[in-house]
Amino acid sequence: MRLKNEAGKEARLAGLYDEYFDKIARYAYARIGDRTAAEDIAGEVFLKALESLKHYEERGLPMEAWLFKIAHNQVVDHLRETTKTKTKTVPIETVEIIDKDDPQTAAETNIEMQRVTLAMKQLTADQAEVIRLRFLSGLSSREVGEMLGKNDGAVREMQRAAMEKMRKLLNIEEA
Amino acid sequence: MMPEKDFDVVLDECVDRLNRGENIAACLADFPQHAAELEPLLKAMTGTKTAFSFTPSADAKRTARERFHAAMAKRRETSFWQNLFAHRFALTAAAAVIVVAFAAFLAFRTPVFQQPTPTITVAAPNAEGNFAFLVSDEVNAISDFSDLKVTIEKVGLLQGGNSSQWIEFTPEVKEFDLTLLPGDVTQQLWRGNVPEGAYSKVVIYVTAVKGTLKVSGGALDIKLPSNKLQISIPFQVKAGNVTIFTYDLTVVKTGGTRNSKYLLKPQIADSGVNQQPALQTPPGLSHNKTPAAASSASHNQTPAQPPASSHNQTTAAAPAALPDQAKGKPQN
Repeated sequence: MRLKNEAGKEARLAGLYDEYFDKIARYAYARIGDRTAAEDIAGEVFLKALESLKHYEERGLPMEAWLFKIAHNQVVDHLRETTKTKTKTVPIETVEIIDKDDPQTAAETNIEMQRVTLAMKQLTADQAEVIRLRFLSGLSSREVGEMLGKNDGAVREMQRAAMEKMRKLLNIEEA
Repeated sequence: MMPEKDFDVVLDECVDRLNRGENIAACLADFPQHAAELEPLLKAMTGTKTAFSFTPSADAKRTARERFHAAMAKRRETSFWQNLFAHRFALTAAAAVIVVAFAAFLAFRTPVFQQPTPTITVAAPNAEGNFAFLVSDEVNAISDFSDLKVTIEKVGLLQGGNSSQWIEFTPEVKEFDLTLLPGDVTQQLWRGNVPEGAYSKVVIYVTAVKGTLKVSGGALDIKLPSNKLQISIPFQVKAGNVTIFTYDLTVVKTGGTRNSKYLLKPQIADSGVNQQPALQTPPGLSHNKTPAAASSASHNQTPAQPPASSHNQTTAAAPAALPDQAKGKPQN
């Protein structure tokens, strides 16, 4: 029974791979501003998940949210490592978006990304995490709440406050 | 009429819908009473999403997927063994089959009522005997010890050919310190007369191996799988010759730093015989034998004048330094 369960968990993890690889990479990218490292982290998350699969309880955190919890830890480790080794982390403001076809669009996207990044730095850590997990990773409020140890009501409140702040910082006029 | 939803819930629902690919207008149309408030917030959301609209490269994704699948395959291999161990019945059955097969193998190989190989015990040592038994240590982990004392009870030689029988003798020197016998250094434990002929195996019966580690100073009992250490090595005891057999032992360290163990085992490559004319005192027997004298005696295989003081030497309580050949490298 337990082994069947293991096989089931493994199949479920494999099933999430295609959809969640991109979401996790985006989540990591929003935090570290390095595309290659974000891709590496996304790959590592699935390997770590596989290693820890026997500890994963299906009745606990949904697997999608569990993956982001691993991603969060991986990002923290990455940031700690880059600080420790004093490797110069590329600040998100200077990340160059490569778009050979349209350099003008690329430059505009770059400017917009810098603006959003600066705005997100004005949010509290929890608010920024809610934005990343809800907008970039597509988790539900309930999943975010389970990840952050809060109820969905609290997540929704944080989400609204964060969006209000972002609206102001990004100068989006009220209708 | 449905009760009006809390704004946070409406906003949350719209975020979910946008995440699923719907547009802002569709959401505003469903919640006209909140549209004015919703619109700028949802624009802030789409602006944020767009800014980080990064799609991992196909190459990176493919490489990562390959690694993931490889890890999954490896994990399944491991699971097979876990599965086996998880099923106690299967394991017990497998163990029973192995035991039965092994028993059957032994039954067919060995006649049930086979007579034990006869044993002849050599009564006493003899200083002029035709066989000398020496021990030495092939250097491995011996340098970890400040002393390593091996106590042996007896030595057995298995005669080959038609008259298969054990020739046993009790060594005069029953305890020796392997740390004093590194490399080419040997110590004679016994000399006496054994029947001439072919031999195929030498067994020493060990009663204790006790050592002291240099680093900790702690006493250590070295375990042996059984009390016997045996070497299957053919040699001849010829008429008119003294056969000098050197039994080479070695101490090896196994395991990691935490679980290290020491094992004592025979070193077949460095064990074997050296023949000397009977009138000559064999190398290793002389208490004060110099390496040069030993070298001369053993390398040339010709009668050489032994040191006068060594001629009547019957036991070699102290190790004697000998070159490799004198130590008994197989020559037959």
